[in-house]
Amino acid sequence: MKVAVFWGCCIQANQYAYEMSLRETLPKFDIDLIDLRETFCCGDPVKSMNEFAATFLAARILALTNLTGLNNLLVPCNRCHFTISEAQDTIKKDPKIAKKVLELLKEEGLEYNPNIKIWHTIDLLHDLVGLEKIKNAVKNPLKGVKIASHVGCQIIRYSDLGRVDNAENPKKLDELIAALGAESIEYPEKLDCCGAALNRSHPDSALSLAGSKLKAVQNLNVGGMAVSCPDCQLMFDAKQKDAGTTVGAKLNVPVVYYTQLLGLALGIDEKKLGLHLNQSPAEELVARIHG
Amino acid sequence: MARIGVYVCHCGLNIAGVVDVEKVAEYAKTLPNVATAKHYTYMCSEPGQKLVQNDIKTHKLDRIVIATCSPRMHEETFRKAVAEAGLNPYLTEIVNLREHVSWPHTHEPEKATEKAKALVRMGVARAQILEPLEKHKVTVEKKVLVVGGGIAGIQASLDLANAGFKVYLVEKSPSIGGRMAQLDKTFPTLDCSACILTPKMVDVAKNENITLHTNAEITSVNGFVGNYEVSILKKPRYIDEKKCVGCELCIKVCPVKVPDKFNENLTERRAVYIHSPHAVPKIATISPEYCLRLKLDKDVCGKCQAACEAKAVDFKQKPETVNIKVGGIIVAVGSEVFDATRMAELGYGRFKNVITNMEFERISDASGPTGGKIHNPKDGKTPKTIAFIQCVGSRDKRFHEYCCRVGCMITLKQTILAREKIHENIRIYVCYIDLRAFGKGYDEFYTRAREMDIDFIAGVPSEIHEKPDGSLYFDVYDKSTNKLVQINPDLVVLGTGLVPNRDLEKISTLLHASRSSDGFLLEAHPKLRPLESAVAGVFLAGACQGPKDIPDTVAQASGAAAKAIGLLSTGEIEIEPLKAVVDKDLCSGCRICESICPFVAIEMKTEKVKGEEKLRAEVIEAVCQGCGACSSACPTSAIKIQQYGNKQILTQVDAGLAEACAEGGK
Amino acid sequence: MSIVDLMSMTKPNLEARKKILAKLKGKELANCFQCMKCTSGCTALKLLELKPNEIVKLVNLGFVDELPNSDIIWTCVTCLKCVERCPQKASPYHIIMALRNLAVEKEAKVPEGFLKAVSQILETGLAEPPQKIVTRKMETVDRECLNLPKIRFPKESFQAALMKAMEEK
Repeated sequence: MKVAVFWGCCIQANQYAYEMSLRETLPKFDIDLIDLRETFCCGDPVKSMNEFAATFLAARILALTNLTGLNNLLVPCNRCHFTISEAQDTIKKDPKIAKKVLELLKEEGLEYNPNIKIWHTIDLLHDLVGLEKIKNAVKNPLKGVKIASHVGCQIIRYSDLGRVDNAENPKKLDELIAALGAESIEYPEKLDCCGAALNRSHPDSALSLAGSKLKAVQNLNVGGMAVSCPDCQLMFDAKQKDAGTTVGAKLNVPVVYYTQLLGLALGIDEKKLGLHLNQSPAEELVARIHG
Repeated sequence: MARIGVYVCHCGLNIAGVVDVEKVAEYAKTLPNVATAKHYTYMCSEPGQKLVQNDIKTHKLDRIVIATCSPRMHEETFRKAVAEAGLNPYLTEIVNLREHVSWPHTHEPEKATEKAKALVRMGVARAQILEPLEKHKVTVEKKVLVVGGGIAGIQASLDLANAGFKVYLVEKSPSIGGRMAQLDKTFPTLDCSACILTPKMVDVAKNENITLHTNAEITSVNGFVGNYEVSILKKPRYIDEKKCVGCELCIKVCPVKVPDKFNENLTERRAVYIHSPHAVPKIATISPEYCLRLKLDKDVCGKCQAACEAKAVDFKQKPETVNIKVGGIIVAVGSEVFDATRMAELGYGRFKNVITNMEFERISDASGPTGGKIHNPKDGKTPKTIAFIQCVGSRDKRFHEYCCRVGCMITLKQTILAREKIHENIRIYVCYIDLRAFGKGYDEFYTRAREMDIDFIAGVPSEIHEKPDGSLYFDVYDKSTNKLVQINPDLVVLGTGLVPNRDLEKISTLLHASRSSDGFLLEAHPKLRPLESAVAGVFLAGACQGPKDIPDTVAQASGAAAKAIGLLSTGEIEIEPLKAVVDKDLCSGCRICESICPFVAIEMKTEKVKGEEKLRAEVIEAVCQGCGACSSACPTSAIKIQQYGNKQILTQVDAGLAEACAEGGK
Repeated sequence: MSIVDLMSMTKPNLEARKKILAKLKGKELANCFQCMKCTSGCTALKLLELKPNEIVKLVNLGFVDELPNSDIIWTCVTCLKCVERCPQKASPYHIIMALRNLAVEKEAKVPEGFLKAVSQILETGLAEPPQKIVTRKMETVDRECLNLPKIRFPKESFQAALMKAMEEK
C-alpha cells in the first residue's frame, strides 16, 4: 500500500535513525513510502510567531500530498502530526481562514485536499498494519526485555482534536512493544513531557525536564526506553549527557526509536536501523535482546 | 355577522415599551366585524378582565381577541373571565405581542408595531371562524403509582396514603430505602440516616393504603391522565415472599460470593442475600446471574433450600405481571453516582486508596464493611492524611456541566465525621473550586468544619500518582497562598457528583416524559412548575429531576403528592376539547393518521356505510394531545384539531399576507 | 475607566482582549473559573513558574499589555495537559500562543531561537540545516553516507508564499 510521508525538519536534519528504521521496517508490511515533491517546516516554530502562517504551511503539506494522488499521509514526528492535524481542523471549521489559505495555495497552483488521513507511526502500525501481522512477522522475539515506553505529548493530546491514542491511558505503543515479545511497564512518569519545546527559549529547563524523566526511568532498572518522536529522541538520547549534568545524575539509559526495536525483532541489521547513531548506550539494550 | 372585541395589552412596559399599543388598537377598529377595540395597561388584572366582561354585555360581543403575552401565561385566565360573562370560552383568541413582538424586536419599535398590527389582523380573521367548544369531564382513579422507593418515593407515598389515596409503590431493587439507606449521617444535622429513614420505611410497609412491590419494574404505561393502565413486572426472587421470615440461615450456607453493590463493592455478599441491613421488606432474594443452580440451570447446590426452615426457597418461581389502574404517576427513580474511572488521571480503579464519597459513606457507617471505622481499603489501616477532591465529573464540559449541588456538603460532612471518629491528630484537606453551602444551617456547618481544623485548599489537582512503595501523592496549586504544594494522602476521597439514572431513557419513553439537556427529567416549567412533567398526570420527585439533597427531595416529594391529590381529589377531571376530531364522510380508512400518532390516540373502527363495511379512524379524545401530526398527514383533510382546521389556519395566513410585500434574495 | 491595577497603574486593554477572543474560536477564555487544574498539572510551573490560570485571568480581565513583553509566555512546554483537562475548555495553551503572536506583532522581545528558526525556514524551507552527526564510535556521518535520499528543498515560490502568509494578522 502506498502512503505519502512527511518527515519534517528534525528527522531530516539530524534524527536519521528514525528515517532509516522506518524505511527499513515498513516495506516488510507492504507499505511503500512516497516522498512529497518538496520538504519544509510544518509550521511548528512559526506557530508562536504567526498562527495563520503555521496553518498555511501545514495546509501546503496537505496540498502537496494531494499532488501524489494518495489519501494517506504518514507524519512520524509528534509535533508535525499535531500541527498538521490542528491546521486541518481549523480549515474545516473556520471558513475565513480556509478562504485565505486556499487562495495562497492557488497562487502556487496548489490545491488543498480536506480528505487526507493523517497517520503517525504508532497508529499506522497498530491500527492499519495491526498487531497480529506484526507478531507474525517477528523473527527474533525480544525475550521479555522490559521497556519503558514514552509516547510523548502532542500525539495523545488534546482529545477533542482526535489524536492517535487515549490521552490519559495510552496503550497502543505498549501493545506494539508487547507484540515484539518485550514487556512494556507502567510507571508514574509515563506521561511526563520531554521538554523539547523549550529548546528555543529555555534550553536548560528543557534539559532539566528530560533529565528528571530519565532519572526516574533509570531507577526502574529496565532494558531501555522506547520513543516515537524525533524531538523526544533528541532530548532523551542525543542530549542525555547534558540532561544528566543538569539534574546532577549519571545517566546511562538506552533510548531507541520503537521502529528500531521493531527492526531488531524483524531480524534487520543493526546498522541499517541506525543503532550506531544513538548517543545513549543502545548496544546494551541490543545485547540484552540478543543475550 | 360576528361582533369582535379587540383588547391590546400594554403589559406594563413589556409590550408598550416597544409597540405603539394605541396605534394597534386604532388599527384594530378598522378591521372587519370589530365592534370595539381598546388598549389597557394590564389586561390580566381584575379591572382588565372586568373591562372585557362589561363590553361583552354592552357591545353584545360574541368573539374576543386579546393581544397580550403568550397564551401559555393567561389563556386560561381570559377564558374563565369570558365564560363568567356568559360567552363560550373557546371563542377567545390570544394574540402574542410579547414573546412574538416586543421581546424579539426590542430594538425596532416601528417594525414591531407593524408586526403587531399584522398579528392582530390575523387574530381577528381567525376569531370570526372559531367554534364554540365544551370541556368534557372524565372520571379518574383515586389511585397513584409511585415509581421508585427511595426517600422521595417513600415520602410521596406516605403523603398520598394519609390523604386517603391508594398507592402502588414500585421499587426496582429488593428493598426500599434508596440512596439514603446507604448514608451514615445526613448534613447539616448529622442525624443518623438510618434512624430517620427506617421509621418511614416501616410506615410504608404497614400502611393499609400502600401496596409495595419490590424487585419490580414497570413495563408498560397506557391510557391518559386520570386513567392510566400500568403493567408491573415482579421479577422472581426465587423466595416465597409469604414464607420468608428474614432469618438469614440461607445466606450463611450459600457458597457463592459476589460484589455487594449496597456497600459500593467494598465487600462481598452471597448469591442469596438480603439487600441491606435495614431492608424493608426483610425478605431474601436470589440473584439468578450468580446462583449456581439458576445460572447453570442444573440440579446443583441448593444448600439454601436445604437450610431454609420455612421452606421458602422456590427455584421454579416465575416472573409475575400485575396490571393496575391509576389516576396519576409520580416518578421518583433517583440518580446515580458519576463513574470516576472516566477521569482516569485521578487513578480511581487503579489505586485502591482512591475512593468516592459514597464508598467513604459506607466505610463510615457502623453497619458497613468496616463496622464504622475509617480504614484505608488497601491495608485496613487508619489514614494519617485524608484528601478530598471536589467536582469530580461535575461542572466539567468533558462530562457533566452542571453543579451536583450536594458534593460540597457531603464532603464537609465526611471531613467532620473523619475528625470525630479518628482521635489522632490527622490532617484532612479539601481541594475545592468553589465551596457551596447554600441551605439552611449549611454555612454554619462549613464554619464548624473549619473550626475542626480541616484545611481548605483553593484549587484542585490535575492528576494523582502512586510512588513505587504504593503511597499516593499529588500536586495542587493553592491560589490563596500562591503555593504549589504536594500532598501525600493515605486516603483520597473523590467528590463524585450525581448523574442521571441510566433507567431514565426507559422511563422517559414509557411515560413520554422528556429529559432536559443535562439528562435529568424535564419539568413543565423550571420556575413555576418544578413538580410535574409536561405530560398531564405525570409528576416528578427527587433526584430524577435534578441532583438535590434530602431536604429538597422531601419537599419536592410532598409537593408532587399534593399535586397528584389536587388533580385527582374530586374524582373527575376536565379534558380540553382542543383535540383531533374525524369527519367520517371524508375519512377513507387509509390509516396514515393511526401510524403517525405518537400517543397512540387513534383507533380504526369498522362501520357500516351504505351497506358496506368500511374502516374509519376514531380519536380517543382523552389520550389525544392535540399535536396536529395526524391533521397535516391526512390526505383527505378528514381529521383536524378542533379550532385548528385548514379553514381556520389558512384564513389566518391570508390575513397575514393581505398587506404584506414580499422581499426576496438578501 | 472602571478598573485599574493599583500596583502598576495599568488599565485593561479590552480591544486586545477582543482580538484574542476572536482568534480562539470556541476555546472559552471567558469561562475559566480558576479551578487551578491547569496550574496544578503544568509541566513548566516548578522550573519556570508558569501559572496558566494567572495568564488566563489577566487576559480575561483585559490586563493584556504586560504579557507580550514578559518572558513568561515563552516558558510554555506545549505539553497540552491544560487543554486536555480544563473543565471549561478555556485552553491556556491557545491563549499563550495568541499572546506570542501579539508579542511578535508588537515587536517585543522574542527568543532568538524562534527568530533563527523562522529565518532558516524562509531561506531554505527547513528550520535547521542537515547536520553531520557523530556515532557512538566517534565516526562522523551524514545523510549521504547513510544512503538517505537527498532533501527536496522547496521551490522558489515557497518563500514568497510564506512571507505573504506571515503578514496576516
